[in-house]
Amino acid sequence: MLVALAWLYPHAFADANRSARANARLDNIDRALGGGNSVLPAQAIAMEARGRIPEDGTFAVSVGPRQPGWSVLAIPDSVANYMRYFLLPRQMDPNAPWILCFACDRSAYPDAQVVWEDSPDALAILRLPS
Amino acid sequence: MTVRALAGLAALNVAYAVVGLSLLWAALAFRTWGGLLRLAGLGYLLGLAAFGVLWTALLVAGVPFGVVVVVLSLVVLTAAGLVAGRLRGAGFDGARPCLGAGPILLVSAASVALAGMFLEALFRTARLSSLQEYDAWAFWVPKGLAIFFFDGLDVHVFTTTPNATYPPLQPVLDAAAFHAMGGPDVVTLHVQFWLLVVGAVAAAAGLLHRHAPSWLLWPPLLLVLVVPRFGERLLAPQADVLLQVLVVVAALLVALWLRDRGDWRLAAAAVLLAAGANTKREGILLAASVLAAGFVFSRPRWWPRLAAASVFVAVTVLPWRIWAGRHDIGAGAPSSPFGNGRLRGALDLSFEVLYSNARWSVLPVVATIALGAALVWGDRRLAGYLALLGLLFFAGGVWSTAGFPELAINADEGGNPIVRYTGSMIFLAAVALPLLLTSVWRAGEDP
Repeated sequence: MLVALAWLYPHAFADANRSARANARLDNIDRALGGGNSVLPAQAIAMEARGRIPEDGTFAVSVGPRQPGWSVLAIPDSVANYMRYFLLPRQMDPNAPWILCFACDRSAYPDAQVVWEDSPDALAILRLPS
Repeated sequence: MTVRALAGLAALNVAYAVVGLSLLWAALAFRTWGGLLRLAGLGYLLGLAAFGVLWTALLVAGVPFGVVVVVLSLVVLTAAGLVAGRLRGAGFDGARPCLGAGPILLVSAASVALAGMFLEALFRTARLSSLQEYDAWAFWVPKGLAIFFFDGLDVHVFTTTPNATYPPLQPVLDAAAFHAMGGPDVVTLHVQFWLLVVGAVAAAAGLLHRHAPSWLLWPPLLLVLVVPRFGERLLAPQADVLLQVLVVVAALLVALWLRDRGDWRLAAAAVLLAAGANTKREGILLAASVLAAGFVFSRPRWWPRLAAASVFVAVTVLPWRIWAGRHDIGAGAPSSPFGNGRLRGALDLSFEVLYSNARWSVLPVVATIALGAALVWGDRRLAGYLALLGLLFFAGGVWSTAGFPELAINADEGGNPIVRYTGSMIFLAAVALPLLLTSVWRAGEDP
């Protein structure tokens, strides 16, 4: 047990220091998004949604077919779960006026206005008329 | 991450420790500064557990989770402990603690320094960590945020996030941390989990201090902190480490209660087990295992006390089950593992994960050998209790894998939580080793 401890302690200590340095190097947006960096096709849609949707507002997440360049983790459940977490206290609601569109079928929202768009990643924030 | 957030979090955690120590004082667990210092870690865990159990019930009852009420609840818990202590005649002797001297003190000092250095490095990791783990952002932290933002069990969040069956004790602690930090700071939240690790080490060391010499106490405790799988996940804002700490420290208290029948140990274990049962689904299974092993290895005349502890744990589980049932959330228990053809695969998997050198280093192997040695040469009641407890924990893991057909029969953590579950057995091995080895060592010293 002492041999194992003598072997593992320096490694674990070095790993902890390495993680601390890596965490310190993150910029504020990377740190705020955390796991979202692995799930979302682009950081901007999360930050834009936080800025545009009022805190007492509601939103829906609509995810279409995977686009080139998207992470393998960008599947509908993961994207919806992540946005639910990241945008709290804004609540998810399938009938919400705000639509977070990840390559979604925009013809499903004929009256929606595009309030923000990132064409290369097929991302948009749509707003239905109230 | 700000100094204000860190200071708020520190104040909240000191408050947990004050609550727990007042409850321990009321239970006549200590009456000197030395005793207080030795039980400070346990006091912290006990305060956190009591707060979590109380607020789980209060949230179900519809009490809003605001700053004032949270502070009031901490004050009331502390006052209850102090008043009960007064009524029970608990005293306090202000004599200075005696640290001892000689080589043993040197071993303790060196070990505390090694633990401190590693924990300091973990603190620097924790204070700027981003929220990476899937389970953390998919449901644990959102539930905490929901309690923080909406002052209660928001039906939408608590019924639509994944794993809706999990009780809300961990989210309650997250929400309290957000209030203490002055906002929903999910980065500084990692420091709350760091404090839990510090509390767990202090609790285990403090409880074992009088029952094992330093040179047998510290190596397993240090090793469990740095074994690959345990060390990597200590700071993840999920309920796994909390559950392991609560259940294993409770198991240690029951083991010591079997030796000295100190009622305060069983009372503290009951509160920790109640918190464990309100932390995750498997918490009920693990708490029941601890109590069942306690029944088997105690004399019948001690059973009424164990029965009272069991009833207390069962009653504290009810509020969440009532809320969950009212909102059509199932119990989430596995089906029978017999007849579905998965039992053998689940057994092999649990065994392979438990004795994985790459994950846990030599801890499970050394613990198994120590258990065998203690059964032959040492304290047979202690060894029997720990062996049965280990078997029940192991059987619980097999049952989970076999009973949930949707779980893959492999150790990939995305498809089966068996590795996380096994963490309880590894932490149990680490805190049991000093007791087992000491019982064998002291048996050899007998004339």
